[in-house]
Amino acid sequence: MTVIPSEAVRLVGYGAREISDGEVLFVGIGVPSLAALVARRLHAPSSVLVYESGAIDAVPPVPPLSTGSPSVVEDTGMLASCLGVFAMLQQGSFDLGLLSAAQVDRYGNLNSTALGAYEKPKVRLVGSGGAHDIAVLARAAVILMPHDPRRFVPEVDFATSPGSYGSTGGGAVAARGSGPGCVVTPRARFTFEAGELTLDALVDGVDESTALEGFGWSVPCAARLGQLTPLSDSEIAVASDVLESWGRDAV
Amino acid sequence: MESTSKRMSLAEAVRQNISDGQVVFVGGFGQCIPFAVGHEIIRQGRKDLTLCRSGADILFDLLIAAGTTRKVIAGYVGNPGVGLAHAFRRAVQSGEIEVEDWTNFSLVLRLHAGALGIPYIPTATLIGGDTPDHVDVRSIECPFTGEVLRAVPALRPDVAIVHAQRADEDGNVQLFGLTGDTLDGAFASRCIIATVEEIVPRSVIRQMPDRTVFPGFRVAAVAHVPWGAYPSYVDGHYTRDDQAYSEWDELARSNERLSTYIDADIRRVEGFAETMSLIDKQRLDALREARRRLPELSQGGGI
Repeated sequence: MTVIPSEAVRLVGYGAREISDGEVLFVGIGVPSLAALVARRLHAPSSVLVYESGAIDAVPPVPPLSTGSPSVVEDTGMLASCLGVFAMLQQGSFDLGLLSAAQVDRYGNLNSTALGAYEKPKVRLVGSGGAHDIAVLARAAVILMPHDPRRFVPEVDFATSPGSYGSTGGGAVAARGSGPGCVVTPRARFTFEAGELTLDALVDGVDESTALEGFGWSVPCAARLGQLTPLSDSEIAVASDVLESWGRDAV
Repeated sequence: MESTSKRMSLAEAVRQNISDGQVVFVGGFGQCIPFAVGHEIIRQGRKDLTLCRSGADILFDLLIAAGTTRKVIAGYVGNPGVGLAHAFRRAVQSGEIEVEDWTNFSLVLRLHAGALGIPYIPTATLIGGDTPDHVDVRSIECPFTGEVLRAVPALRPDVAIVHAQRADEDGNVQLFGLTGDTLDGAFASRCIIATVEEIVPRSVIRQMPDRTVFPGFRVAAVAHVPWGAYPSYVDGHYTRDDQAYSEWDELARSNERLSTYIDADIRRVEGFAETMSLIDKQRLDALREARRRLPELSQGGGI
């Protein structure tokens, strides 16, 4: 008898799988941080978690509420400055950036700045933080998103960070990183084929229409649609534990 | 050596150094957010300020709610781990305040250029998407390699407000733990106002000069304000009051509740110590108990 894990457990568990052991990670708060903590406790014990506040090789005993929270500082190898951490990002020292946002679109543009028109927003959000910098400077980036139809739109209201097609505002300036390589939701994994969000693999027990339920456009499917290996008991246990110590909604 | 003393009351420090319409860098990243200085700015009725820093916490929300602010220059304005900064959100939606939306890195670079005393700095960020179209970033060719980069202009705030563990009378400030962009922002500023948990003898500072982050000659005023960063945290003194950040989320959803709070707990009190006296003592004791211990601080009579 298999129990299907909650969407939160799946998002964090499958998100963690995008991380390989030994990688240097630029970690945002919320789901990205939870996924990194899960990976570190399972298959990626020597991954290095870096928070934009300046904490390098942090092992937060509880998932932090902010990049500068006490738990980020409690067990960490180094406290640098923001400049020090971003300098290393620009230098190309980070293997992977983990991102999330209020909206993602068919090209992987992310919006955390405003819903509605930028000049007169319906809902003003928090802004880029380090997200734009991570998206263009980390060697690779993954996007972790809850399955919420309002968050998947054909075109974001404001592209806080550019998607897989990269530059529109930068003119001749090339991004140093390869940009977002995939999107993970609790129901599926997506890649970008010729720059466009493409359904790549389904979570066990989820069909295509459930994976794309509520998306505001017709999402192409990979020629050979894959199936993600179900989360193991230990993946489920660790993801549940990390979510419990976080104590907030992840999806 | 009385003539070199930078020590004064917080009220005096704000009166002498912050005027309407100025650009204010707000120090503290997670840790050491200068809430006490923010309260004093509100009490003294400053207005039309421009607030800047990379990642801005709920002190921005408070200063905006209290009507002190005309413009924000930042990479992020929110309630970290909780959600949106509601006073900021409403003020931007209604057009009451103006925002310059940088990224955290590019804003730190602008401050760093200011601290270096140069007019701009090249970078490889601010490329693509809509963010670069709404700020003054330009392309530039490297004179050595020909590589095309982005240039961001230096930011030189009029005044920086910071909080730290300790300082001496001369204004030599020592900060332990996370600093984030505080040092770049303060050195970019023309004037630095510091509040500290402790004023210590010069000899204590001089035992550990490597921990001094601002030299006295760059500091205009230093004021002794215990709990001056509450509800953020100060290593060695008290931990973060996460509950207060959640409570702010509730409070800030309503303009009415906000103005009642600001009137009662900030405007109508004599100073920050009185605001702190309104908070349950057991709650503060627990925050002090849960602090990160810093053995270095105890050398020389500290905690």
